[in-house]
Amino acid sequence: VRRIAAMVVAIAALGLAGCGGDEQQRATLTIAVNAPFSRTSYVGDAIARGASLAVQELNAGGGVPAGSTVYTLKVRRMDNALSPHQAVENVRRAVEDGAVAILDEGTGVDASWRIAGAAGIPLVITYQGGTGLVDVAERPNVFRIAPTDRGISFRLAEYVIPRGLKVALLVDDTDYGQQGRVALAKAFGRNPASVAARITLPSRAGDPAPQVLRARKAGATALLVWAQAPTIAQVLVAARSAGWQVPVFTPPPGSDPLVRQQLAAHRRWIDGLTFASGRMTAELGPAQWEAFRAKYERAYDADKVGVQTSGGQEVVQPPEYAMYAYDTVNVLAAAIRHAGGIRDGKVVKALEQVTVEGANGDERGFNEASHEGVVDDDVYFARFRDMTFRPVKDDPLSSTLPIIRQTEGGR
Amino acid sequence: MIRHALILGILVAAFTAGCGGKEGEEGEREAATKACGAAPAAMSGEPTFPDGFPTPSEVTYTAQKESGPSTIVEGYRDGDIDDAFDGYKTAFDDAGYDVTKDEHEEVDAEVNFAGGGSDGQVKLVQECEGRTSVSITIRPE
Repeated sequence: VRRIAAMVVAIAALGLAGCGGDEQQRATLTIAVNAPFSRTSYVGDAIARGASLAVQELNAGGGVPAGSTVYTLKVRRMDNALSPHQAVENVRRAVEDGAVAILDEGTGVDASWRIAGAAGIPLVITYQGGTGLVDVAERPNVFRIAPTDRGISFRLAEYVIPRGLKVALLVDDTDYGQQGRVALAKAFGRNPASVAARITLPSRAGDPAPQVLRARKAGATALLVWAQAPTIAQVLVAARSAGWQVPVFTPPPGSDPLVRQQLAAHRRWIDGLTFASGRMTAELGPAQWEAFRAKYERAYDADKVGVQTSGGQEVVQPPEYAMYAYDTVNVLAAAIRHAGGIRDGKVVKALEQVTVEGANGDERGFNEASHEGVVDDDVYFARFRDMTFRPVKDDPLSSTLPIIRQTEGGR
Repeated sequence: MIRHALILGILVAAFTAGCGGKEGEEGEREAATKACGAAPAAMSGEPTFPDGFPTPSEVTYTAQKESGPSTIVEGYRDGDIDDAFDGYKTAFDDAGYDVTKDEHEEVDAEVNFAGGGSDGQVKLVQECEGRTSVSITIRPE
């Protein structure tokens, strides 16, 4: 009887083991968001929120299967305070703690990519566009979903130079400004007659009035300010308070809420500011962008700029950079699935093989030839009026784009 | 008389704008199924391309202009957008250029390239049945 009982138990155990053969293990993966939460909170929050929204959706859908494991994702915020040293320390810590990927604003990447690379971890930049930051051959684990400085600077040159403007190129002395200086040198290098002056702005010195005066005396008929948002605001104040209504062009930080907040007492001074950035909507139209935006605003509320239109409507910021972070997490998830595992640099290689539909309906992905997720020809121009911006009409791409809602409850 | 002509012009412009409801992709889709009008005239001479840049024999070039540091070449190709898209991708491969990104929607497509000391984009739009417009933006490295 004992023998029979033992056999029954053994058969039952085998049966249970057989049933369990299809069961997948569960594990949690951390995506580290390395961004300047304490210094430019708009940028940091946009990246972290976009990433978190994608993570929530993936987890709600059951997680990310890879091989015999289903992964739940989580986001860890790490403040780089715009300090390269801190940014590198954050990446070191994230790697030690087993992060599967780094979503990075871009500060300190010249050093931090090696730490991530040595661990076989992808580092994806979702804000800074510096030319040397991404290099398929030299930095195979670095990717980017954000407009490149090269694309922004060339598109600005293509827009400004044919208009016969004499441009003063003003860059600040931050990493961001110096990367811009390099990009602008290339973009404007073939048309030296279009450049009235090249001037560096001290980002911590406060009033840039002497540099703005220098640009004016050099005969500039336009200013191109490649700087962090506070410096852009200071340049506008310096020019307008001197009665100089010169056209001002900027890269994406021109649309940072901080510029408008700092000019709230002189709201007309921002009118006419033209900035270049990646187009938010797809060629198919704005429907998918609006759907993404609705999800974002349900999760986090609209990002209030802190100013109102002249009609008293609260101005809100479209979640442009959140979209890039959201897309990045979805591309990462697709790569984890494709790789069938997360070890030995598999995710890095898989990132070159996958493409997903982005939040706005455009395809997002990379290949062996390019680790850039936003193409230069998707850079458009928008101009401010009454604290909101709209695409310009005198550029072929921009003129086809819809006006994005920027007031609470508005259209 | 001039005033009447001006008012008439404004009214015609307003009417035309009002008729432009089918914009963007929808308008392009509809146009792609319609018969083509006369093809634009070929440009005199040949456009200037970077070293080794593919020049498919099916493409007729109609204009070239400088836009700041960049060069824009316009043209068209007889045939639908699928052939044009595949043709350029193959041609870039054969020419030793990298295709850095490509995207093909219903009636428009882009092939982004790098090579020959340049990068840029070939944008294709099927503008009518049997003709695809080609717009090439070339940026020096």
